[in-house]
Amino acid sequence: MPAWFTPNRETWLFRVNPALKFMIFVLLLLFTLFTRNLAFVSWLAVLFGILLYGFSGYPIRKLALLSIPLIISFASSAFTMMLFGKGDTVIWQWGLFKISEESIQHGLLLGTKSLTFGFVGFTFLLTVQPVLFFYAMMQQFRLPSKYAYSFIASIRLLPVVVEEIQVRSNALKVRGITFSRGMKGWGERIQAYAVPLFAQSIRRAQRIAIAMEAKQYQMGAARTYFYPTSYSRMDVVFIGVISVSIASVSMVAFVMN
Amino acid sequence: MKTAITHHREAAFSMTKLRLKFPGEETLLFKDLSFSVRKGEKVLLLGPSGCGKSTLLQVASGIVPNSFELPMKAEALELPDSWGFVFQDPDTQFCMPYVDEELAFVLENLNVPREEMQVLIVASLERVGLHLTDLHTPILELSQGMKQRLALASVLLMEPEVLFLDEPSALLDPEGTKQIWTSIQAATAEQTVVIVEHKIEQIAEWIDRVVLFTDDGKIAADGPPDSIFKDYKEELIRYGIWYPGVWDDYLNSKVFKTLSENRSSTSTVEVLHAEEFNGYRGKKSVIHVPSASIRQGSWVTILGENGSGKSSLLLSLMQLLKTSGALQVNGEPIVQKKRRKTLPAGLSLVFQNPELQFVTNSITDELTISLMSVSSTEANHHAEEMIELFNLPVSGNRHPYQLSVGQKRRLSVATALTSSTDILLLDEPTFGQDARNTFGMLEKLESLRRNGMTIVMVTHDLEIASHFATDIWTVSDGELVSCTRKGGVADARLVYA
Amino acid sequence: MKKLTFTDLLITIMVGVVFGILMKFWDDLYTVVKPMMPVARQLLYGMWFMTGVFAFLLIRKPGVALIASIAGAGLSAFIGHGLEVLIYGFAQGLAAELLFAAFRYRKFSMVIAGVAGVFSCAASFGLDMFYGYADLETWALVVKYGLRAISAFIFTGVFAVLIVRALEATGVTQSIRPVAKEEYSLLDR
Repeated sequence: MPAWFTPNRETWLFRVNPALKFMIFVLLLLFTLFTRNLAFVSWLAVLFGILLYGFSGYPIRKLALLSIPLIISFASSAFTMMLFGKGDTVIWQWGLFKISEESIQHGLLLGTKSLTFGFVGFTFLLTVQPVLFFYAMMQQFRLPSKYAYSFIASIRLLPVVVEEIQVRSNALKVRGITFSRGMKGWGERIQAYAVPLFAQSIRRAQRIAIAMEAKQYQMGAARTYFYPTSYSRMDVVFIGVISVSIASVSMVAFVMN
Repeated sequence: MKTAITHHREAAFSMTKLRLKFPGEETLLFKDLSFSVRKGEKVLLLGPSGCGKSTLLQVASGIVPNSFELPMKAEALELPDSWGFVFQDPDTQFCMPYVDEELAFVLENLNVPREEMQVLIVASLERVGLHLTDLHTPILELSQGMKQRLALASVLLMEPEVLFLDEPSALLDPEGTKQIWTSIQAATAEQTVVIVEHKIEQIAEWIDRVVLFTDDGKIAADGPPDSIFKDYKEELIRYGIWYPGVWDDYLNSKVFKTLSENRSSTSTVEVLHAEEFNGYRGKKSVIHVPSASIRQGSWVTILGENGSGKSSLLLSLMQLLKTSGALQVNGEPIVQKKRRKTLPAGLSLVFQNPELQFVTNSITDELTISLMSVSSTEANHHAEEMIELFNLPVSGNRHPYQLSVGQKRRLSVATALTSSTDILLLDEPTFGQDARNTFGMLEKLESLRRNGMTIVMVTHDLEIASHFATDIWTVSDGELVSCTRKGGVADARLVYA
Repeated sequence: MKKLTFTDLLITIMVGVVFGILMKFWDDLYTVVKPMMPVARQLLYGMWFMTGVFAFLLIRKPGVALIASIAGAGLSAFIGHGLEVLIYGFAQGLAAELLFAAFRYRKFSMVIAGVAGVFSCAASFGLDMFYGYADLETWALVVKYGLRAISAFIFTGVFAVLIVRALEATGVTQSIRPVAKEEYSLLDR
């Protein structure tokens, strides 16, 4: 898995401060979430598509593979909205299905938003190292260390949790456990997995917390950092590129219409 | 508080009249326990499981109540100024993904400037004899024994006066056990060291003092190791301590003699046969069996290095991995389907972690849930039989998670035994267990074998292979390389070497 | 009300992260159900509201519902669900947290847990309105979010409560909850 997520080359995006990158991307997401202008969102999708495909440093083949679910979710959310969305200018109707000009608009807006979020998300994920991200959050954005190290410790144990899910699934087969149908069955299924998994994870979290405090970790205490992070010229470039792009996209979408 | 300071010079730590209990429990774990350790002393705490030795270490370090609250009080409590703690489980001591990051985490806590970190990290790994070509190695890639040495290295960075070791080798294989104790002895000549451990072969010579606890948290004996080991042998056996020579004593015991005398020869009926059999994870073959067969009533132990494919072999036989080739159970060929709803009849598997195998809220339910076809009186009868046979608490209402470690393991074996089980596959059923639970488990398996059950078990323990197995299989690098059938009781070490 | 210790915090975040992983496995199932059965799809949606409620029922301290919900969403985002789920996680966790706070963090019943789930559901509905998921015909809107609210109640009020009770029976919760004062007086017996 990790090998798969190694880029061909580390582009300038890698050298942007990860916490700053995160903050700006989240701002952009919030902005996109609350926009209802289709042209604007479409241009944003194009913009982030270019950022992802052109500057993440990954080969097109891998990026295309990652984009498949994005395309599917674009299609499925857009079509559902087109068929069931509200609207008065009806184009076609058959029973409960009704396509109107408004619903097409809404469908495209929704689909394009999903696509934009997907591109932004992947651009961030593919160009950031989790541990460095948390170090930057602590140093540049004053994230209390207790949150940062709790996250790092939890993420570190993910492979163990995944393995336990597999063992549990095998063990349930060996024990010959079957589940009821319908909602009740879903409840049984969740319980059969959740109880042992959470029992293990809670105990593990507790032990790790105790071990960390035994290594003289103290919430809120001053500390030095193994990975010093700071702002660099790349961050200025990044902010510049993003602002210029957003400005031109807004120009095209709002002013020229 | 006034009296305490004068005390401090010679004592590394001390406690007077400690009282402590677990929430919800009726009785106190410690009632007016007084205990102290002198500077530089190497002390071993021994006692039955549940007597509170580990809790005592946590009180002495201040983990209880600072990080973990338990109701407690004491007349005087003198804790060490600086201390380090190595815990039992190698997988729950680290918070960072990489070796250098984990060691740096400690240095960050100590406010060491970044420029000084690298040198200290290298030196600390050197101190515990952990030689890595790359400091930026993922901790998940280390063996369990290396992880424990990393834990020791991270603790040494704090330059502790007192070192608390809570069963640091309990979950290690023989190789890892030897290494961690060698590292500890080399690195802590000056320090005060307080150890809780069942596996004491490596340290019996090294320690200065042994403190023996009773079941109810009192000190039964306190003195130099030689005299304690000599005078309290009965207690050592009762508490399940792996003292030097424990196997010899067991082999000479009455129990084992009766077991081995009546070892009937196994029948010639083949219950399992595999030919050019492969197990896959994804598309990769992880185990290949050229040809192997198992006779009814035999006891097969599977030996091999970590990651060589022993567990994969069990999963493949159980049809929990994708397989190819020929496999027959009880003369019937097993159809190897891609997605199967039911597993082959006759086989059952016991996993390493019992808790992942439990599915109900009580011992009785756990034992009867697979017996849907029989009446409830019959089912209860079966449950009672199993409870008796596997030395489980008489109250079948107890929650499986609320059992002791040894009881959990025994229950997990009991749940695998249904009327249709002919072959029992077990993944290291004695791993991490104390001597008493280990022998108890082996005796249970032997009695099952006598009644016609076939046992197939993965282990690291050559003594078990030598004294209990009828067949020894060796797995190396994803291949079953040898199957040796023993005439009587032969020495596994010859086969394994 | 007791503040969160570091152990509480690490458990909270771990619970969130483990939920994130379970969600991933859940999502694989859900994707299969998705196109074929819109009703079943909405009925299974409630799982997404469980994280915060479950963590609060487990640890019973202020802040837990919000932090666990963000942690779960953060993990989902981290393994490729898109950064927007972080915003949803925040809103859903906050809604549940506010409900628990309104009861001074002292109520752990099925009804309260279920209502907390419905609150989370309402918060996600609010975001959906901005996102554009809610621009549906009225009948479709009522069916979609009605089913989703019912599902939220079942998953948080019934399933989450039952899992916590089952965990209480295992004994693991005992060591993570604050020790009662009476326990200390028992030391003097």
